[in-house]
Amino acid sequence: MAELLDNVVLPVASRDDAAETVAAIRPYLDGAEVTVVHVIEKAGGAPDKASVEQREEEADHIFDIVEDGLADATVERDLRYSTDTVDAIFDAAEDADASAIVVSTRGGNRLLQLLTGDVALKLVTENDRPVVVLPHDDDSTEPTPDTEDGSDHG
Amino acid sequence: MGDEELAKDLGLLSALTIGVGTMIGAGIFVLPGQAAAAAGPAVALSFVVGGVISLFTALSASELGTAMPKAGGSYYYVNHALGPLLGSIAGWGNWMGLAFASAFYTLGFGEYIATFLPLPAIVLGPVGLTAYQVGALIAGLAFIAVNYIGAKETGSVQVVIVTLLVGILTVFSVLGFLQADISTLRPFFPPETGGPAAVLPATGLVFVSFLGFAKITTVAEELKNPGRNLPIAVVGSVLIVTTMYAIIMVVLMGVINWRQLGPAFTTTPVLDVAEIAFGTVGLAAVGVGLLTFAGLLATASSANASILASSRINFAMGRDKLISAKLNVIHPNFATPYRSIAVTGSLILLFIVVGDVKTLAKAGSVLHLIVYGLLNIALIVMREADVEEYDPAFEVPLYPIVPILGALTSFGLIAFMEPIEIALSLVFVAGGVIWYLVYARGKADKKGILSQYILARSDELPQPAVKAASTVQPDGGTYRVMVPLANPEHEKDLITLASAIAKQRGGTVDAVHIVTVPDQTALAGAAEYTDEIDASSETLLERAREDAETFGVPVETHTIISHRRFEEVFDAARSHDADLVVMGWGADSHGSPGRVESAFDEVTQEVPCDFVVMRDRGFDPSELLVPTAGGPDSDLSASVAKLLQQEYGSDVSLLHVTDDEAEGRSFLDSWAEEHDLEDATLLVESGDVETRIEEAAADASMVVIGATERGLLNRLVSGSMVLDVVDDVECSVLMAEKARRRSLRERLFG
Repeated sequence: MAELLDNVVLPVASRDDAAETVAAIRPYLDGAEVTVVHVIEKAGGAPDKASVEQREEEADHIFDIVEDGLADATVERDLRYSTDTVDAIFDAAEDADASAIVVSTRGGNRLLQLLTGDVALKLVTENDRPVVVLPHDDDSTEPTPDTEDGSDHG
Repeated sequence: MGDEELAKDLGLLSALTIGVGTMIGAGIFVLPGQAAAAAGPAVALSFVVGGVISLFTALSASELGTAMPKAGGSYYYVNHALGPLLGSIAGWGNWMGLAFASAFYTLGFGEYIATFLPLPAIVLGPVGLTAYQVGALIAGLAFIAVNYIGAKETGSVQVVIVTLLVGILTVFSVLGFLQADISTLRPFFPPETGGPAAVLPATGLVFVSFLGFAKITTVAEELKNPGRNLPIAVVGSVLIVTTMYAIIMVVLMGVINWRQLGPAFTTTPVLDVAEIAFGTVGLAAVGVGLLTFAGLLATASSANASILASSRINFAMGRDKLISAKLNVIHPNFATPYRSIAVTGSLILLFIVVGDVKTLAKAGSVLHLIVYGLLNIALIVMREADVEEYDPAFEVPLYPIVPILGALTSFGLIAFMEPIEIALSLVFVAGGVIWYLVYARGKADKKGILSQYILARSDELPQPAVKAASTVQPDGGTYRVMVPLANPEHEKDLITLASAIAKQRGGTVDAVHIVTVPDQTALAGAAEYTDEIDASSETLLERAREDAETFGVPVETHTIISHRRFEEVFDAARSHDADLVVMGWGADSHGSPGRVESAFDEVTQEVPCDFVVMRDRGFDPSELLVPTAGGPDSDLSASVAKLLQQEYGSDVSLLHVTDDEAEGRSFLDSWAEEHDLEDATLLVESGDVETRIEEAAADASMVVIGATERGLLNRLVSGSMVLDVVDDVECSVLMAEKARRRSLRERLFG
């Protein structure tokens, strides 16, 4: 698997997601190149649901969590703005010439997945390069730094 | 296309529809009845007056928006220009104003929904809810849910909604106009409403119809080419809606006499007129249906945009630390500022329950008018302060007439509200002030351009203005240790002491080089000294920076040019929000004789922060001697000793001189415990205080002593008092004097 995980793109959606993804992927990475991608979803012609600056601040926190968690890997930050999260992730993978896109299955029930448009599912079904789905292990979930609220998860 | 452009995806049409869509809401669909009752046909004029007032502010908002395209809009400009005190008023005013307006829009939605959906009136204990309120609560919950979850699809239909709205209203106006009878409009100023005098109070009522143009500025950061699109969208949307309002009012009152449009006859006058207007082409039911649909769309889009805008204001206030960052947490799944939306949403639901349409509309208007007035003043300040970064792509025409008129008319319109509504607005202003002083002042770290302008010119501007500006400065969240430097010889020891304290307190060091120039030299003209000053300042401050950095303490450096030295220390301590000043003092640093006493009159009233004055004979904190007789100033000496002990592991000895040894020991025991210095050596001596201190100091490497009486510091630096101890001991002496701050009341009114 070493070659497959040589140069991976790691999409992360939130601080919780970042902590979980880091915990899930850490055992498999050995000096790999990691491009961590966060997509700020744009409304495309209407005001966004949150201020762009606010989302950018949040993105910094998310990137920090991944960088701190993957101290052994070379972590590259890639912040994207797009109306389509999945397209943006594929673009990031192409720009990074990634060997694979790695996702950890996100928690949440069906309703939540419906409301948020489950990105992991779309990544797996619409992919143009290898997508590695890591198991979501509750025991390995690290407490999320700086997040005051984890109750909405799962 | 770069990321920068991708982040900015709102075009002109989108921006315009935000403004128009927010404004064409309940104002035109709900209020016409109330408005007609208030001024008769002349209410068309009220709308025009409202439009003109809005236009002034729209021009000012455009200039500020192009100069500072930041999330938060009006609030941001006020806070940036006028400082966090007025920023708090504007932030709270804007936030609450939006909540009131949203409640009003939602209630309007409830009225429209009740025309075709049979909703029950509910009585819950003491609270009786009408069918409208029930409809509004349901709708309100839906709007809040949409924003909480953040369906991006709602945004993309905005253009469609607004286009539909404008289309329906145009058809309505044309058909209505054909039915209108000019004689129905007479008398234009009906005597029963008070004739022409009723126009301005009616403007106060309908002004809620104009809240919306400034919302475009809250999303200015997302606009494409804001320099061009922002002014066009803001000003354009005001012009479009003012024209539409005036025409629609004339049509409404030309078709049905204004007396029959009032709330006594109907809650939805627009639908009554639609029935007649569309009835002539045999489509009465279609007309009513279309206008009901339009009413629902309009109120929904207004409420939605307001909820969205309020979360932007929350974010901007949080960014300036005027409210807790906890409110602005992003939802892990929805990526929305869900807490902010939930709080605003709860307020909206509360307002729906307690308020009626008219009160909500006016409360929303009054609060927005306060913000608009401040916004115009903010523009004047930005222009006059001549800030380098301030470079608006759009400039208001006829400056300063437009912003002055904007401020006067915005504040002036408040005077035409009912006394109870004016009182309400004052409550919110007072609330903003109290909020700032009680909560935000200790946290906010951003100063307004206005106070920076005043403080930077403290020698030219009248003292009351300077004082007012400095007393309301934010404290900043971190502990700041300011070090005024003059003599390079003592730089290292002072900075070392300051850095050790700052490090223990998790604070920062602010090294200030105060350069004194002769009174004859105008400060502005000190430029000729600049090269000389620059060179000496730079070396001194650079060394200070290096010395502080060895402690890993954040350091700032400043050069201040002044006629005065010690007075300037006090002023700088105030304007730099210092928590502690560490300064040197010695035979060589006395103030210039002859003019000091009078200059210190003011200073004796207030010591702006804690002071530690060092008589420098080398920095060696290994053996600290702390003589004490109790009192607040020796508290400070104890905490300085404690901090040094933590940093250097110093041996601390406490000395108390008294003739009653037993009592002295128990005093010293409890004093040591109180100040967390139980591990110190306790010395109780009797006899002459100064002699005993000098004897004990022989074994010490540094003496830390509290001022034994008030005003020590002033007399010390002015050279009017010589403390023998300080001169007679061999080692360095630190003298501590606590801040004496005046009370809140004194600071506000003193």
